[in-house]
Amino acid sequence: MNAKSWFSLYRLLIRTSIRSRMQYKFNFVLASVLAALIQISEFLMVAIVLYKFGAIQGWSLYEIGYLFAVITLSKTLYRTFADEVHHLEKYLVGGELDQLLTRPLPVLLTLMPQSFRIMLGEVLQGGFLLCWSLGAMMSRGQVNWVSVPLTLLAICTGAVIMFSIGLATATIGFWTTRITELQNITEDAARTAAQYPLSLYPKWLSSLLLIVIPVGLVNYVPALYILRGELGPWVPGVVAVAAGLCLYGSLRFWQFGITKYQSTGS
Amino acid sequence: MLYFTLASKAYARNLQYRGAHMVHNIASAMFGYMYACIWIGLGKDHVLGDYGTQGMVSYIAFTQSSLWISGFITNGLGIPQAVRTGLISLDLLRPVHLFTHLMAREWGQIAYQFLYKSLPIYLLYVVVFRLQFSGSWLTLIYVGVGLFGAAYLAICMNYLIGVSAMWTTESSWLHWGNHAMINLLAGFFIPLEWLPDWLERFAWLTPYPYLLYVPTRIFLGFGDVSLLWGTLFWCALMTSGCLLATQWLRRKVEVQGG
Repeated sequence: MNAKSWFSLYRLLIRTSIRSRMQYKFNFVLASVLAALIQISEFLMVAIVLYKFGAIQGWSLYEIGYLFAVITLSKTLYRTFADEVHHLEKYLVGGELDQLLTRPLPVLLTLMPQSFRIMLGEVLQGGFLLCWSLGAMMSRGQVNWVSVPLTLLAICTGAVIMFSIGLATATIGFWTTRITELQNITEDAARTAAQYPLSLYPKWLSSLLLIVIPVGLVNYVPALYILRGELGPWVPGVVAVAAGLCLYGSLRFWQFGITKYQSTGS
Repeated sequence: MLYFTLASKAYARNLQYRGAHMVHNIASAMFGYMYACIWIGLGKDHVLGDYGTQGMVSYIAFTQSSLWISGFITNGLGIPQAVRTGLISLDLLRPVHLFTHLMAREWGQIAYQFLYKSLPIYLLYVVVFRLQFSGSWLTLIYVGVGLFGAAYLAICMNYLIGVSAMWTTESSWLHWGNHAMINLLAGFFIPLEWLPDWLERFAWLTPYPYLLYVPTRIFLGFGDVSLLWGTLFWCALMTSGCLLATQWLRRKVEVQGG
């Protein structure tokens, strides 16, 4: 099977997933509204701190809104296409991965479209926050229109990095079966940490978030260049290369991990 | 006796997973550490109200540990799962009220989480952040009462979320929505007095402040003990809500599995 056939099959599986989800329209609307509410409350926590204390170590409300929006949209992009990677545990515990192994496609390609999520709440909230923060910074002359394509690039490379982190964490499940606790550290805690400037944290923690679990590359490092002109114009290129390396490393790790899979279900 | 047996069985079941839960404790402690770092960072440039930097670190340490009593309890008390498998019909046939049955089971879970999650996480923070407690035994008793009420409120809230699974397949979103409200309105990360005025007033119209903020303020020696009357009021109101919801769900039961 060539790449074109895989792609068309992937699109077909996504369409099927969307159609099955839209059978329950009330549930879809309820889930979207609540997801938006959760997102807003998460940002409110950050915004209230800024409202009370002004800037956080020199980062304004708009800059922190930008950090929050970029990581939210990157996560949304990753979870829209690969939500089931995050939920691999249920396949490992229930032995459902066996079914996917028998299909004439790479397991990852079969796994990803199992549940295509339309994360309307996150897209609306992240998109609004990004427009609002970038718009405000443009009107103040802090950034210009070049920041828009650079930000879109940062969101895409960020999604690749977050997917890589998610995939590497899920792969550990081939040995441990349970991965929820680990995901709490590598995905949830790390992402929450990256909603704030990494300079707030002790050196060891910020280094950890840049090198070991590189969520800092999703929003903080690109923002240093896009919003503040720090580091240098090489930043987007280096982040893209780092994202490529993360993806390559996590895919290799996945390929190795899947050879260790032992069915657990009945 | 039945209720005690249900609670002790839930406690004993959890004991089997102590090792896995310790990994979870690390994740939870990491979250609290990160939030404390944010306040330490802010404390370098700003005066953090009555609390001061060390006070805010103590605040975060206590709320993060208390989350395992009044925040992280069984999603919907397991009702959504029971609806999906069809077990709910069996649960409704039992000669014991659904609410008290599930509540007894959850108390066992909370007791376990208090001993194996809240306490170790708090003790870790005591060592890492060199925390000190200057209150009296009486303060500890009031804190205990506040936490007990908070746990009961959390059980009621999760029961109502669980019951919603009878009418929607997306009740897990209500669970996450509830968590988001705990983060924002229960004073988990930001003390309520620092919220914008309208949001603070709104928060006090809900039961959320009684889940974390009230016990934490009492623990830190700032709290007005009379706030515990609010806990009592909400416990009574939520109990009525749970009993009414049970009566309503009994009218027509549709299960998804079986």
